[in-house]
Amino acid sequence: MKIEVAKSKSRWFTASGIGLGIGLVAMVISLITLGSPLRLGLDFTGGTLLQLQFPKAIPDIAKVRAEVAEAGYPNSVVQQIGNDTIAVRTRPLSQPERSKLQNDLKADLGNFQLERIESVGPTLGQELLFNGLLSLALALAAILVYLAFRFQLDYAVCAAVAMFHNVIATMGVFAILGLLFGIEVDTLFVVAILTIVGFSVQDTVVVFDRVRENLKFLSRKKPFPDIVNDSVNQTWVRSVNNNIAALLVLLPLSIFGGESIRYFALALIIGFVVGTYSSIFIAAALLVWWRERKPASAAGAGAAKAER
Amino acid sequence: MRQRTLLLLLVAVVIVGSILIVATRPTVLGLDLQGGSQLTLLAKPTDKVKTINQEVMKGVAAVVEQRVNGLGVSEAVVQLKGSDQILVQLPGVKDPTQAERLLGDTAQLEFRKEAPNGEFEKTDLTGADLTNAFPQALQSGNGWEVALEFTGPGGEKFARITRELAGTGRRLGVFLDEEAISTPTVGVEFVDRGITGGKAVITGNFSAQEASELGIKLKAGALPVPVEIIENRTVSATLGADSVRQSLYTGIAGTLLVFIFMVAYYRLPGLIADMALIIYGLSTFAIFKLIPVTLTLPGIAGFILSIGMAVDANVLIFERTKEELRAGKQLFTAVEAGFSRAFTSIFDSHATSLISCAVLFWLGTGLVKGFALTLAIGLIVNLFTSVTCSRTFLLTILNFPALRKPALFGVSDVPAKAVRP
Repeated sequence: MKIEVAKSKSRWFTASGIGLGIGLVAMVISLITLGSPLRLGLDFTGGTLLQLQFPKAIPDIAKVRAEVAEAGYPNSVVQQIGNDTIAVRTRPLSQPERSKLQNDLKADLGNFQLERIESVGPTLGQELLFNGLLSLALALAAILVYLAFRFQLDYAVCAAVAMFHNVIATMGVFAILGLLFGIEVDTLFVVAILTIVGFSVQDTVVVFDRVRENLKFLSRKKPFPDIVNDSVNQTWVRSVNNNIAALLVLLPLSIFGGESIRYFALALIIGFVVGTYSSIFIAAALLVWWRERKPASAAGAGAAKAER
Repeated sequence: MRQRTLLLLLVAVVIVGSILIVATRPTVLGLDLQGGSQLTLLAKPTDKVKTINQEVMKGVAAVVEQRVNGLGVSEAVVQLKGSDQILVQLPGVKDPTQAERLLGDTAQLEFRKEAPNGEFEKTDLTGADLTNAFPQALQSGNGWEVALEFTGPGGEKFARITRELAGTGRRLGVFLDEEAISTPTVGVEFVDRGITGGKAVITGNFSAQEASELGIKLKAGALPVPVEIIENRTVSATLGADSVRQSLYTGIAGTLLVFIFMVAYYRLPGLIADMALIIYGLSTFAIFKLIPVTLTLPGIAGFILSIGMAVDANVLIFERTKEELRAGKQLFTAVEAGFSRAFTSIFDSHATSLISCAVLFWLGTGLVKGFALTLAIGLIVNLFTSVTCSRTFLLTILNFPALRKPALFGVSDVPAKAVRP
C-alpha cells in the first residue's frame, strides 16, 4: 500500500482542522458551562470521595442520593461502581464532617465497608493543577530543545506542531467526554498527556530520521516532496505496528483496569492513535508545506545542511 | 563469533540473576495496592508563629512522628514535603479516621487557674512539662481518665498552682486546645504544700479510645502550630488486593496479545522479539525489586505500557531488515543493516520519552513519580534487551542453515540473488 502525503496535504490539514475545531469548540463550551476547558476531577478542584462497598444488596442509587442530600450535601455526585460499590463525591469534608456523613449513611443504608477515601483540600487541588500544567509546559519545552538540537529548526517546529496537534486532540476528546458523560480529568490525565507527547514525538522522529537519511543519498535525484513521501512510506508500517503493540496492552487496561486506570488508558489510546496518524500525515506534510514556501534552491541548501 | 558467545553468556547471567532476584526479594507495594492511608498535613501560621520555617516544620514532624508511633502502625513513614507540608504514610492502618483525629489536633495542653472574677488565667504549666500521659480506668470502673506525670520543674509548678488554689473554691482548669476539658477544685488539705509528687489525672467522661488518643497526643507533645489535613488517600486492603489481581490479569492479557501479534507479523524475528520481551519483563521487574521501587497502580500501568512500547525498537529493526532483504541484500547483511540503521531512530525516540519521564519524576507527586520511574527504568532496560539481546539471538540463530530463509522473516518477494546461501 502506497500512501500519498505530499500531494494531498490539504486533505489531511482539513481533516485535522475539523477534528481539532470540534475539540476546541467542546473546550469552549466546557469553559463557559463548567468554568474550565475540561471537567476537572477531585484532584484539581478539591473534594471528598467515599467508596462504599455493600456486603449484601446494594441500596437504590436514588435513595443514596436522597440520603446524601439530606445529610447536607445536595450537590454531590453519587455513582454505582461495579456490582456492589457506590461512590459518593462531595465538596472537601473535614474529618468530623466526613465521620458524621459516614455514620448517617450507615444508619440509613445499612452497614458497608469503606473501600476508599480520597480527600483533597481546595488549596492542594490548585497546587496539583499548577504542578500538572507546569510539568506539561516544561516537558514540551525540553522536547522542543532536544528536537532543535538533533534536527534542523524547521524539522523541530513541524514535530512540535504535530505534538500540540496530538495534545489538543486528546484534550478535545476528553472535553467532549466530560460534557456528555461527566468524565473528569485528574493527575493521571496529565501523566497520560506527557506520555502521549513522548510517544508521538517518537513516531515523528522516526519519520524525520528517515527523511534526513534519504536526503543524503537522494537529494540530487528527487525533489523534496517525493523524498518525504518515500520516507513516510518506508516508515508507516513501523509506526502502525508499534501503535498496535501499545494498543494491545492498553485495551485490557482500559476494559478491566479499574476506575482510576481506565480513563488513563483511554486517554493513552486516543493520544497514541492520533499521534500515529499525525506522524504519518501531519508532521511530514507540514515539512513539505514549509519547504515548498521557499524557492527550490533554498530547500536544496537546507537539505544539504540537514545532513551534518 | 567470540564476542557473540560472550554476549550470550552475559544474557544468560542477566536471566539467571533476574530470576534469583525476582524469586527471593520482596515486592514493595504502594499504599494503593497493599491498603493504607496517605495523609498530607499542612502547617498553618498563627499569631505567635507567623512564618513557617524549617525549624518549625522539624518540630511539627517530630510531634507527628511520635503520634504515629502511638498508633502502632509498622513501617509508617513521616516526611517533610515542600516548605510547609508533611506526608504521612500509614500502611495497613485499621482505623484511618482515628489516625486523622490523632494527627490533626494541636493538643495544646494548659493548666489555668480560676481568678476571683471567674475567668481562667494562664499559668506557666503546659503540656511541655509532661514526661508521660496514659489512660487508666476510673476507680469506679465506669469510664476512663488520663494520668499525667510531670517533669521535676513541672511537678513544682503544679504544686505551686494547686497550693494557691487549695481551699479557695476557685477551680483548676485543664484546657486542651483552648477548651476546658476538666475543671476540678483542689481540696483544702493541700493548702500547705499543694499537690506534690508530680502526678495528676484528667477526668472528663472519656471512653477507653478517647482516653488512649488523648494520652498519645499529650505524650507526643503539642504541635507548635496547628495543622490541617489537606489530603487523605485511603484504600482498604481488599480493594488493594483487587487492584493487584486486576493489574496482573490485564498485564498478562496484554503481554500475550503482543506476543501473538509479533509472531504472527514478523515470524522468526517476532519470536526473537518475544524472547527479548520476556528478558525485558524479567530484568525490569528484578530492578524494581532491587532498588526497590515502590509499585503503585499507575506504576504497574506504566510497566504494562512499557511492555507494549518495548517491542518498538524491534519493530523498527525488523521493518528495516525486511526492507534490506527486499532491496536484495544477503540475510546476514540485511539483519546487521537493520540493527545499525535503526539505532539512531531508537536512540532519539527513547531520549524524548526519557525527557517526559524526567520532568514527571521531578515535578510529580507520589503516584506520578512511580509511573515515571517505572517507565524510565523500562526504557533503559529496553535499549539493552531489544537491541543487544535480540541482535545476538538473531545472529546466533542464523548459524543454522535451515533457518536462513527470508520467508521466515516475513518477506516473500525477495530478489533471486538474496536466496543464494
